[in-house]
Amino acid sequence: MRMRHSAVLAAVAGSALVLAACGGGDDDDTEGSAGPGMINFYTDKGAWEPQFLEVSDVSELSLGLGLDFTGYSDADQYSAFIRQSFRTNEKPDLFTWHTGSELEDLVAEDLLAPTTDIWESAISDGNVPEALREHFTVGDEQYCVPMNAAYWVMYYNKPLFEQYGLAEPTSWTELMTVADTLLANGVTPFYETNILFSFVWFQTLLAGTDPDLYNALSNGEASYTDPGIVEVMEQWRTMLETGYFGDPGDQTTPQDQLKNGTVAMINFGTFLSGQLNSVSMVSGTDYDFFVIPNANAELPQTSLIFETGPMCTAKDAENETSALQYAEWWMSEEAQTTWANARGDVSFNPKALVQDQALAELNEQSAGDDYLLLERYFEATPTPVLTAALDGFGAFVTNPGDPMPILETIQAEADAYWSEQG
Amino acid sequence: MSAPATAAPPTSAGGSAPREPRRRDRNAYGWPARAFSLPAVVVVAVLLYLPFLWTTWISLTEYDGLGSPEWVGLDNYRAMFDDANFLTSLRNTLIWVAGTITVPVALGLLIAMLSHGLRFGAWLRLPFLLPYAISGVAVGIVWVFVLQNGGGLSQALDTFGLPGADTRWLLDAPMNTVVMIGAAAWQQTGVNALLFVIGLQSIPREPIEAARLDGASGWRMFRHMYWPMLRPLTTVVVGLGLVASLKTFDIVWIMTQGGPGRNSETLAVTMYEETFVNSAYGSGSAVAVFLSAVTFLAAITYLRRQLSTERTV
Repeated sequence: MRMRHSAVLAAVAGSALVLAACGGGDDDDTEGSAGPGMINFYTDKGAWEPQFLEVSDVSELSLGLGLDFTGYSDADQYSAFIRQSFRTNEKPDLFTWHTGSELEDLVAEDLLAPTTDIWESAISDGNVPEALREHFTVGDEQYCVPMNAAYWVMYYNKPLFEQYGLAEPTSWTELMTVADTLLANGVTPFYETNILFSFVWFQTLLAGTDPDLYNALSNGEASYTDPGIVEVMEQWRTMLETGYFGDPGDQTTPQDQLKNGTVAMINFGTFLSGQLNSVSMVSGTDYDFFVIPNANAELPQTSLIFETGPMCTAKDAENETSALQYAEWWMSEEAQTTWANARGDVSFNPKALVQDQALAELNEQSAGDDYLLLERYFEATPTPVLTAALDGFGAFVTNPGDPMPILETIQAEADAYWSEQG
Repeated sequence: MSAPATAAPPTSAGGSAPREPRRRDRNAYGWPARAFSLPAVVVVAVLLYLPFLWTTWISLTEYDGLGSPEWVGLDNYRAMFDDANFLTSLRNTLIWVAGTITVPVALGLLIAMLSHGLRFGAWLRLPFLLPYAISGVAVGIVWVFVLQNGGGLSQALDTFGLPGADTRWLLDAPMNTVVMIGAAAWQQTGVNALLFVIGLQSIPREPIEAARLDGASGWRMFRHMYWPMLRPLTTVVVGLGLVASLKTFDIVWIMTQGGPGRNSETLAVTMYEETFVNSAYGSGSAVAVFLSAVTFLAAITYLRRQLSTERTV
């Protein structure tokens, strides 16, 4: 009998050990805590760790708080991780996310700490333009703060331009002339990809042709099968068939394609500056950029695509108060000067001192009346519609043809999404 | 009082002949045995059964990873079969199955037969085995360099003046699926050859020598002697290939990410795409359940057929 009891006890103990190994720590332990003065910070921009830590060094001195960095290199895995973390006791103190429908999804489930007070203070201090607030507003409250800002411009290989006597174009006609010259000399004018950033040229052509239609498409007031959209797709198709674009399946990084002269120009966010610097290209010498002229010369303002990624705090996170304090500091001149120069990018804070002269000028110009800022297509488009669009555009740049079937597929997703929104 | 070492067989109340003890009574260590198996049962339940049941439940809901899943019954399954992307994925998966159970198996068998019995046969097989030491991800990366536009293959064809230098190997469907099967076969062929060699070495010499004395050689020897005797091993090799091909993911994800425009997706890629890219956990789970069911049924059906055939042989 004793033997049986011993055996049962041993087995139960074994099971308990297995379960203990499978289970997490209890609420009282400190596992997952970032420690005193440290805030758990998660991002899908794992490659930006040195820059985040550079800012963290500054914040530890001036704020007494630092970032305990966890970076993901795969955006999909990161998204799944953040979503699942809300079901646990290890909610992220600070994490990067997306504006638009992805932000609305989190707010709808009451998962985010509001940042309305932080925004009021930052706007009154001149740390952030009032116009940016709407991208972080859901209902009557603001959520998250801007992690970064970027404008979408045209980067070009400067030695190639000099070799063929080309100047920065100031109109669409001039841009096409530049492209034709390059093509005639056996140089591929523009970068193209069929993965993720397949939407970029659709965005550029539509925003530069009819910005009202661009906005209407984003909020479901226009259809992807509208004549204006079809016209833009036909223009894109003509450019593709003319041979203006590089191989969309080339998996060489855009910075290497520009450096190697595989393509002469890349339509990209200003964060490309940091990537170009990382491959030993020098701003103003090896590369430069210009604002992409409107395809429609009659528009009163130049459409300039703008993107911003939020830095959010989970509601009831372990260090919620400190995280919100950090978010407030992140918008300050000190933080943004450090961040923009560490990344080699622009800043949303007009007071930030950007060392890269070209970026600093762009930062200043963009606030003027000559430019119409439009939210990047990626954030402006609801996720299900975006997914269909990325697939469709990816197929389109690979095999240019009749755009209608693709547009109808995207519109079917859009119809389904907007009908659910009431 | 200690327990008896063995339990006495039960007798009927009327004193008639004792009945055969029921199966569960035969084990004298009933409770201790069950208790000892408990940790393993818990592990299997927690790590295998519960996730599958959870996935099945999620497949019957609409769920974006936030909040609570919302019951939608079989809607995800209906939508799945109405979805052109899913049907493309299903077609590609069938191409993978056909390709994987023929090309690397046939090549592996060919290499094994040609090198079997040769003095330096092992050295001849070694180069084919080396790719197996590389992970699927690394194989994908290497073959992207070879197959991308202007890549190694296109350059080689161009250099030798052969046609096909402009072929877009990874962009056009179903060409991209076919060339990815080729890349997978490059990795798998060597290990299949090794397995067939093991099978050849386990064949007794006597019947082979007897057949040889009877004048059998070449194709007749293979068709009537080697092939039937290799059948158990072929069953295993094909069975493993069948299951592996149904759940193909890594090489596709690395080489094309299922694109362009989702035209090279397999069911496993679609499952990932729906779940983690589109955050449609319900749809992704429906694909996962479908894929699991197909894999399970295909494996069971194939093995049962093969094993019953072998018994009759």
